[in-house]
Amino acid sequence: MLRSLERERERGFRAFSEAATIAELEAAQVAILGRKAPFSDVQRAVGTLEPDDRKSVGRVINETRADLQRASDERRAELEAVAEDALIAADRVDLSLPGRRPRPGSLHPLSLAEDEIVDVFLRLGYRVAEGPEIEDEWHNFEALNIPPDHPARTMKDSIYVHLPGHPELLLRTETSSVQIRTMQSQPPPVYIVAPGRVYRRETADATHLPVFHQVEGLVVDEGITFADLKGTLDAVARALFGQDRETKLGPAFFPFVEPGAELAVTCMRCDGAGCPVCGNGWIELLGCGMVHPQVLENCGYDPERYTGFAFGLGIDRVAILKYRIPDIRLLVEGDIRFLAQFGASR
Amino acid sequence: MKVSLSWLREFVPIELGAEELAERIDARGIKVEGIDRPWNDLEGVVVATVTDVRDHPNSEKLCLASVDAGDGPVQVVVGIRNMAPGDLVPWAKPGSRVPLLDEPLGSRSLRGEMSNGMLCSPRELAISQEHETGILILPHDLTPGADLKTALGLDDALLDIEVEPNRPDFLSIYGVARETSSILGLPLAEPDADLEDDAERADAVAPIELRAPDGCPYYLARILRGASRGTTPIRAQARLTAAGMRPVAPIVDATNYAMLELGQPLHAFDLDRLAGPGIVVRRADAGEGLVTLDGIERELIDEDLLICDLEKPVALAGVMGGRSSEVSGETTDVLLEAAHFTRTGIIRTARRLDLHSEASHRFERGTDPEGVERAARRGAALIARWTGARVLRGAAQAGGPPDRRWVSMRASRATALLGYRVASSDAVAVFDALRMRHREDADVVEVEVPGYRVDIEREVDLIEEVVRIQGYEGVGATIPRSPAPGGLPAAYAFARRVRDALVRAGLREAKPLPFASEEDLALMGDGDAIPLANPLRAEEAWLRTSLLPGLLRTVGRNQRWGSGTVSIFEVGVIFRAGDPAEERRHVGFVHCGAAGEGWAADDRMLDVLDARGTLESLLGDVGAESWSLGEPLAGPFHPGRSARVLLGDEPVGVLGELHPRIATSLDIEGRVAVAEVRLDPLRAAAARAFQLVEVPRFPPVRRDLAFVVPAGVSAGALRAILDDAGGALLDRSTLFDVFEGGAIPEGRKSLAFALEFRAADRTLTDDEVEPVVVAIVDRARSELGAELRA
Repeated sequence: MLRSLERERERGFRAFSEAATIAELEAAQVAILGRKAPFSDVQRAVGTLEPDDRKSVGRVINETRADLQRASDERRAELEAVAEDALIAADRVDLSLPGRRPRPGSLHPLSLAEDEIVDVFLRLGYRVAEGPEIEDEWHNFEALNIPPDHPARTMKDSIYVHLPGHPELLLRTETSSVQIRTMQSQPPPVYIVAPGRVYRRETADATHLPVFHQVEGLVVDEGITFADLKGTLDAVARALFGQDRETKLGPAFFPFVEPGAELAVTCMRCDGAGCPVCGNGWIELLGCGMVHPQVLENCGYDPERYTGFAFGLGIDRVAILKYRIPDIRLLVEGDIRFLAQFGASR
Repeated sequence: MKVSLSWLREFVPIELGAEELAERIDARGIKVEGIDRPWNDLEGVVVATVTDVRDHPNSEKLCLASVDAGDGPVQVVVGIRNMAPGDLVPWAKPGSRVPLLDEPLGSRSLRGEMSNGMLCSPRELAISQEHETGILILPHDLTPGADLKTALGLDDALLDIEVEPNRPDFLSIYGVARETSSILGLPLAEPDADLEDDAERADAVAPIELRAPDGCPYYLARILRGASRGTTPIRAQARLTAAGMRPVAPIVDATNYAMLELGQPLHAFDLDRLAGPGIVVRRADAGEGLVTLDGIERELIDEDLLICDLEKPVALAGVMGGRSSEVSGETTDVLLEAAHFTRTGIIRTARRLDLHSEASHRFERGTDPEGVERAARRGAALIARWTGARVLRGAAQAGGPPDRRWVSMRASRATALLGYRVASSDAVAVFDALRMRHREDADVVEVEVPGYRVDIEREVDLIEEVVRIQGYEGVGATIPRSPAPGGLPAAYAFARRVRDALVRAGLREAKPLPFASEEDLALMGDGDAIPLANPLRAEEAWLRTSLLPGLLRTVGRNQRWGSGTVSIFEVGVIFRAGDPAEERRHVGFVHCGAAGEGWAADDRMLDVLDARGTLESLLGDVGAESWSLGEPLAGPFHPGRSARVLLGDEPVGVLGELHPRIATSLDIEGRVAVAEVRLDPLRAAAARAFQLVEVPRFPPVRRDLAFVVPAGVSAGALRAILDDAGGALLDRSTLFDVFEGGAIPEGRKSLAFALEFRAADRTLTDDEVEPVVVAIVDRARSELGAELRA
């Protein structure tokens, strides 16, 4: 009996170690340790032995069964590890493949620039104001100190709309008309920026479009000075183009401000050294000035009590400078290869 | 205005170079746009004496000249034979450069004869724009061998000055010189206008009568007699050319030269062609005509101002002279007009006739009435010098310059406006520098405004002078803070939100021009568009009524450029006629091309369901819940793939594919799915804030049901019934399969839904769910003929 046990142990070890798969191992398990296996026959035969022999043979049987089971378990663990390795190996992915991702969208560069400009002013406590694009001559010209025979009225050729009975309606040439509408609609203090589209009768080329975008700014309050204008616009220029920019304010003429000024910023390409983009190191950024007392009077504000400053910043100009856009027509053509550069590319 | 530095130096002893000068005056309000050096490329051309001129043996057109610049005669082949032995000519010797030619000159053989360099015409030297003037014959006082550039004073720089409308005094060399002298603290010289005393008196020759003093308050004429043809000095010709004017003949050149120098337009009449002679300034009679110098008959109205002799009009005042009294080569006696015309009259006439001259440009902006006399004297002196004419004593004149006005400012007001302390003594120093007379009384400084400063009318104009001359760099920098928090108006903020939602949905923002063509309007079937009164192009003759045509054009352009897949949107304003005209914000988008690309994509093309998906994303993103799709659309849309977009019962937009015929007519390939929605109703329907619905804690019971329905039954209709019949226990229904063909009979289709039943307070049992499923199936069968698929 002990001999047959020894034989089964030998047979079992061999069968388990020869099992090449989990399935073979399980078959071997049944063949060696199953209910119908020779080993089980031996186990059942123990009952026929003498009590003393039964005890000693029983111990050998238990030891043998435990050894065989351990051998089976170890082999199972080995086979499982091999199987898992095979599975993992088969699951390999070429990580140089482009990833799967949702189709990317993007904002237009003019929106990016407008948001950035508006957000700077929001931080300073300004409110956004809006006005109509179809404007009347009074808001677009007269109220801004540009009478019908003023030479400034020939400087920019305007586009008029044809609405019967309204020969005075045109597409606004500046967002400055929003200044007037805001002052007419509320008492001081006024701290606003007015982003929007403006129109000039120009043929499209690399530097002109009949439509472009401005952010008009207006502050009217007691005690507002030219220094307030300078400090504010210097801070805004730095916020937009980098804190290491320098700015310079120089005289300029706009009928609705006095003193009038132009703000230049050191060139972002050459840092003010002078290059083909800027010429002398400075880039003219915006027109500005102290609100003309006549304009305040036109809107019913007392110019002795209130002073203010106004400015007009070209959004297209900011976008062109920030993103180095060589031809302004790119902004309206909608070339996907252009638009895709202002967000995740495809 | 091109201002020659050498000309400027005739009035102000400027020692700075052009660049440094430009920087200094630009910072004080004389805006220098650039610096030109038209004779930069003139190098090595010398004065040479012609020693011999003879025929070219092999050419009838060419001739041979020998010229001597001091080193012995050298042969040059010449195209025009207008020089004679003894003349001085500009010789561009081998190795020299002239502005008109890219390459330095060399020695080369022309038809078998050696030409050592060339002789130059005025055009080749950038002294004149004229063609075929022949070789420039130089004045005899030049020295052979001298460098031509130095000898003619062409070593010059031109400041390109942008003259803003408030400072018309900068439309003259002298005006710029005067301001420059103030800025740099240098003396200012008077123009050289010395005249010989003449026995004959001008006022005895031609009486002047002003019948329209509101249009012409001051008219002055100098009379010259005995002019010969003469020539305009080369240097003056060069200056006229550099300023953009055309040298013609000495009398006209002198009037132009004096105008450029002093800013006062002058006009020369041939005295012998003036009836009387005498001058009457009056308004035109309506319908009266005048042939101007350019040969065009002008029809006049009664607000036009005319210069007349004693019989007929001879000039359109301040705009252009008349042909009948034009000076010519035969002119010997001249009436030289210097007059002051008021701005608005000239603007109206020039604009109405679209006739713009150097003279009208200056009168429109405002000339100096006090400068009339000086300009006439200077012009007369130049004509006398250049033609040998004598200038009669005095002037014939009527009217005169107006009295100067006084304007006052308070130093305290300047301090309050500029943000730094301005004492009245500071203001006084500024007006001293500007050579303006002033009176001072404590805080108040009163200033006498000279005739050339048309811009100074009120206190703030003087305050601007103070800060301009003191320098903007001295102003401080402070930042005022709004007393209230800033913010965005609701409509503006919502437009931003819509834009951001569409970017998240994978679209790119485009901004086409907001104009429309007739074709665009026809495409959208829009009748109430607003036409432009003065469009530049037919494609821009209207304001757009829809965002779609612009977006579709963008798609077409991209296809032509090889980008077949385009998903773009715009948030922008459209316009509709009305009283008042309507401006509305819309959002529009277009999908066209492949749904995906690359190794992982299927080869599906974008279609109306992608547009619907984008619309769902957008509406879901802004929290608008009460939307639905209405009846199919006509017009440019595919009737089986389009629908009106409704919010509640209100139509707010369109969704659909273009009709294939329309897409083809727009040169767009493939399916084009679009949508356009009005923003205002969408904003009204949008959720103001997120409202939390409790997150479920108990698991759902799931049932998958596949229905076979007639092919005409829409998924939406079936789903509506499921949702309704499912009652409170049905938490979610998801369509997960749409199938036709195979085992499904012809004319029917299979729609498979995953249903999730759930209660907020317990785990549902099958017994609770089963009756609901039965009810759902019954309703679907009875109402839509739907059978549960086995």
